[in-house]
Amino acid sequence: MNLELRLPLADALLRLADDEMILAHRDSEWTGHAPILEEDIAFANIALDEMGHAGVWYRLVAELRGEDPDTHPDQLVFHRALDEFRCLRLVELPKGDWAFTIVRQFLFDSAEVVRLQALRRSEYPPLAKAAAKIAIEERYHDRHLRAWVRRLGLGTEESHRRMQAALDQLWPYATQLFEPQVSESELVAAGLFPASEPMAAEWAEAAAAILADADLKIPTVGPGMNGGRENHTDHLEPLLAEMQSVARLEPQASW
Amino acid sequence: MSDTQWPRYEVFVQERPGRPHQHAGSVHAPDPEMALLNARDVFVRRPECASLWVAPSATVRGGTAEELSQLVAAPVSEEGSPDIEYLVFAKLEERGTLAHVGEVHATGPDDALAAAKAAASRPPLALWVVPAARVERTLPEEAASMFDPSRHKPFRDQAFYHIQTALRRLRRDPLPIASLQNRGKKR
Amino acid sequence: MTDDERLAHFEARIGRGEKIEPGDWMPPEYRRQLIRMISQHAHSEIVGMLPEGGWITMAPSLRRKLVLVAKVQDEGGHGQYLYHAAETLGISREEMIEALHSGKAKYSSIFNYPARSWADIGVIGWFVDGAAILNQTMLARSSYGPYARAMVRISAEESFHNKQGIEIVLALIEGTPTQRAMAQDAVNRWWWPTLMMFGPHDSESPNTPALVRWGIKTRSNDELRQEFVNQTVPQAEAMRLSLPDPDLRFDESTGNWRFGEIDWGEFWRVVGGDGPCNRERLQARRAAHEDGLWVREAMAAYAARA
Repeated sequence: MNLELRLPLADALLRLADDEMILAHRDSEWTGHAPILEEDIAFANIALDEMGHAGVWYRLVAELRGEDPDTHPDQLVFHRALDEFRCLRLVELPKGDWAFTIVRQFLFDSAEVVRLQALRRSEYPPLAKAAAKIAIEERYHDRHLRAWVRRLGLGTEESHRRMQAALDQLWPYATQLFEPQVSESELVAAGLFPASEPMAAEWAEAAAAILADADLKIPTVGPGMNGGRENHTDHLEPLLAEMQSVARLEPQASW
Repeated sequence: MSDTQWPRYEVFVQERPGRPHQHAGSVHAPDPEMALLNARDVFVRRPECASLWVAPSATVRGGTAEELSQLVAAPVSEEGSPDIEYLVFAKLEERGTLAHVGEVHATGPDDALAAAKAAASRPPLALWVVPAARVERTLPEEAASMFDPSRHKPFRDQAFYHIQTALRRLRRDPLPIASLQNRGKKR
Repeated sequence: MTDDERLAHFEARIGRGEKIEPGDWMPPEYRRQLIRMISQHAHSEIVGMLPEGGWITMAPSLRRKLVLVAKVQDEGGHGQYLYHAAETLGISREEMIEALHSGKAKYSSIFNYPARSWADIGVIGWFVDGAAILNQTMLARSSYGPYARAMVRISAEESFHNKQGIEIVLALIEGTPTQRAMAQDAVNRWWWPTLMMFGPHDSESPNTPALVRWGIKTRSNDELRQEFVNQTVPQAEAMRLSLPDPDLRFDESTGNWRFGEIDWGEFWRVVGGDGPCNRERLQARRAAHEDGLWVREAMAAYAARA
């Protein structure tokens, strides 16, 4: 690989890693509080998988940057400042009710399925390999989320109302999912990372079909969320304060 | 509408291809697809699993050794009576569990139980018959996404933690601090 | 057969090491005791998800976070296996949950204590899961088939729970003075409640004789408690952590670590509902249940139309 592209590729993967990490944080807030025991166990599985995926991406970031893959990930997660995080605003939002969580997870996971399929074709073998492995887990998430979206969209008047309200709130944030990134064109030209626009189209079509089957209407929105991934909602600060609180008690220590 | 914990589905796990599916427990689920997904999340957190079956508990017709000993052979079926396929699960060892042993064709659940008992190679300790049409199964093409992930979670295996080694090392080379006295801290 | 004959036959089966399966004849008292024990055990696993679940978001490394999620998820799974075993005896999960939420059903009092620091998570794995393993190993030999099988499955999964706790504590005691102090503080708070987990002295335990005769409980509270102390004191010594018991001393003649008297006043208060977190734990479970009503109904409604 062209050495000049190592750092831009690392930055691209850092975005994916941060998305998974922050979403996993929100997912894990449900443990012990889900609507029924089986869903508690099922959703904990999703959180666990997301955390694992974050770990995989953070390790690749470390390797590309020439950092120690055993220690750099924890450095990134627990000792970066807020303005260094590169996650989507979508994943920062508080978990809301079960409908909000399911719709947010569906929007994110359905986008991941598309992204991972494309990443499997990366010219950087460690990335292609990681994507293939993660894709197997995401396929299961996708199946589970689609089942929930359909059932809750069509279930009762109340569940439909809550799902539609969630979609109305979340769809504007979804426009950020495939926003073209800095240095994207060079990475795309080198076959290292997929182009955003085709993925956006593929995802929008697939998601629209699932939502329509669940009788959920995609809201018409004005211009999408502006500003890049360096801009965050007000929710990220308290989230990071909580996430980093114990590690920062003794910043040099091993836990 | 009354609130329920959803119906129960019995879960059968096949550890490796070629081995019989064994009864592992049950899950609550609103429908067969959710039952299969829930069964995977509850019962396949660790290797090994090659195939998963679920069936509504309400469709299971079972008998223990005591109940079976009282079972009367079903009358010969008349023309036009239904011919339904049932999966048979038998518990043959005290320390074992119900395992898939084969199929019978019968006119109904009682008939199926009698037929299964008659076909058993030795007196089963417990016997279940389940209509084959009500069993939801994982498909071979789904196996990777259903079952592979459990193999990539080594932290669920106690061998991932080297506690004995660490404690032995500490005993050999004690920590360079005085041990804290803790008198009178009993609550 | 008369009931006396049935009972003799039943007890002979248990004496031969046979497993009692759902549908077998059993004395009503056997069924009642098992439903009580198994559902209590199931509730304990579910409530047990709360003190540790709350620390997932603050786990201080990726490894710790992953492991803690896996552990809490296991606890949910274990509760699920146990509810199933109880259901085979004829009680529904709706009834069991109602009993828990109304305060009628008990669960292990240990979960009525708060997890105050990250070190608590380590000590819970070390002490509470260490104690649970001893209990589970015994219950895996239970005469009731579904309970024994659930316990075998649980035991296989449980040992990492204990080890991950010890791993957390090891990192703390080999760390900074703040970390070491955090570990010692957690030990000071969790030691006595863990000893209370094994229940009252055998002499004060009204349920025990029947449970022993019918192969449900094959070791006494005091026996298990002593084994726990014997296994844990050397671990604490190796880690240079002191235990909050001035009466703790090794008895050469028996090979046992002798220990002080438990504060039975505290034990009965917490069992009776007056522990530090009893109300909070039940409130959390009730809230999850109530907030989830529309979800359960919606999923059922969809299935009804399919």
